[in-house]
Amino acid sequence: MAIFKREIPTAVLSFVGVVVLLAFFTTLDIFETLNGVFTSWIPVVSAASVGLGLIYMIYAQYMNYQRNKNLNNLIYLVVPLVFFVIFFGTALVVPGNISSDAYQWLYFHIYQNVGGVIYAVMFFTLASSAIRTMRLVTKDPSGALQFRLEAAALMFGGLIYTLRQIPLFQVYLPGIVGFGEWIMLVPNVGGGRAAVIAAALGAIVVGIRTLWGKERTTTEVD
Amino acid sequence: MIKTGTYLDLLLMIVMIAATYYYYEKTKDPNWRPFIRHIPALDAISEGVGKSVEEDQPVHFAMGASGGQLYSNLVSMTLTALAFLRHITGLCAEYGARLIVHMPYQTESIPIIEGTAREGFAFAGKPEMYRRDDMRYYGRGALTWTQGVTASYAEEGVGLNLSIGIFYSDCPISLEMAHIMGGMNVGGTGRWIMVYAFAMMCDYVFLGEEIYAAAAQVSEDPAMLSGILIEEVGKFFVYILLIVGTLLAAVGLDVASLLSI
Repeated sequence: MAIFKREIPTAVLSFVGVVVLLAFFTTLDIFETLNGVFTSWIPVVSAASVGLGLIYMIYAQYMNYQRNKNLNNLIYLVVPLVFFVIFFGTALVVPGNISSDAYQWLYFHIYQNVGGVIYAVMFFTLASSAIRTMRLVTKDPSGALQFRLEAAALMFGGLIYTLRQIPLFQVYLPGIVGFGEWIMLVPNVGGGRAAVIAAALGAIVVGIRTLWGKERTTTEVD
Repeated sequence: MIKTGTYLDLLLMIVMIAATYYYYEKTKDPNWRPFIRHIPALDAISEGVGKSVEEDQPVHFAMGASGGQLYSNLVSMTLTALAFLRHITGLCAEYGARLIVHMPYQTESIPIIEGTAREGFAFAGKPEMYRRDDMRYYGRGALTWTQGVTASYAEEGVGLNLSIGIFYSDCPISLEMAHIMGGMNVGGTGRWIMVYAFAMMCDYVFLGEEIYAAAAQVSEDPAMLSGILIEEVGKFFVYILLIVGTLLAAVGLDVASLLSI
């Protein structure tokens, strides 16, 4: 069975990956055409696997409830199903699909508002962690006080960038605007680009390893 | 035949593929072990599992509300998170700690995540430690996920919170709540825009691409370990481009147009 679980998927993956790469780098029409075909399969393959995953998830949650009939497991089973049926059903049944007033109401009055709450809560957690992170002096395990250079740099950058947003400082300390912009556009962008390049190289390595058939993280799972 | 504007990309790809071939050949030698800088956050994972056992608290593993992406360009982070899941199941089996996995909302990745956890415990010789009840699914969206995760911290306690994978605005809430509940945070993401949250909120952090290197170290797979060296080759390529680009810009050449050949 290993051939169905490992070799065939790896061969298909490698073939498709090589074709997509050749379509990106070359001007040959054959690769462009194949790339178009493969790209059009993406929604079909992904939708099929999402559907299978959904069935599996419902079954797994149901079995959880059967094993341990408590309120939490019942909520985990019922609530997603109820909202799935409401949203999916409304999109399918009401004329106009996802453009219908009913679906738009569900989206804008429930989903979007509930989603917006996360940002409100997030700012409190950010503030509490910022206070901890920007603490300049901390105690080491022996109880001795230690100056933290990274915290100082972070606090200095954060303070300058915050103060430059306040009109009072813009009027009485105009230099802070340019300095804040410099922090944002030079060290911040430089560091960010370095991080993006390094992460992209890491992703390329994983990609090549997958095409090479050496990536076993998913194919070895039963 | 080669598309204009892709010559430099193609050169980078050829360099990376050549480096891959070179290092994969090296892995055929059973005595070959590359030197890789040790990442302190890796030790912290074992320390955190030990702390959880001492405090009789569960270990939590999260790969992000949206961390099960199998069709996007972030799939490498999903694979990395799975390598860590395998590692943490082994540690939990060894120490006897309970593991709670907060699964992402992508239903298509759930069988893989469950399979990885189940096989991790089985490989460690403790298949009975796998509990399906502790594989948590909260439906779609970052809000439901963060609510579910933080409720779990509050109800069941948290000893170690290992968060590695694809994170968006869900991680500040989950990480900070784990800290408030007395948990030890270890984690990282390859999404540089959220690295700040991990740097601020984690006791030990994997900075950006360190998650790939760390995943290779925990896997102990020669192919994955050699990936770190292949990545270094890519970095040297970028260094050369930077130096050459700086010199060319200094003598007045338009580097931007040269880069888009």
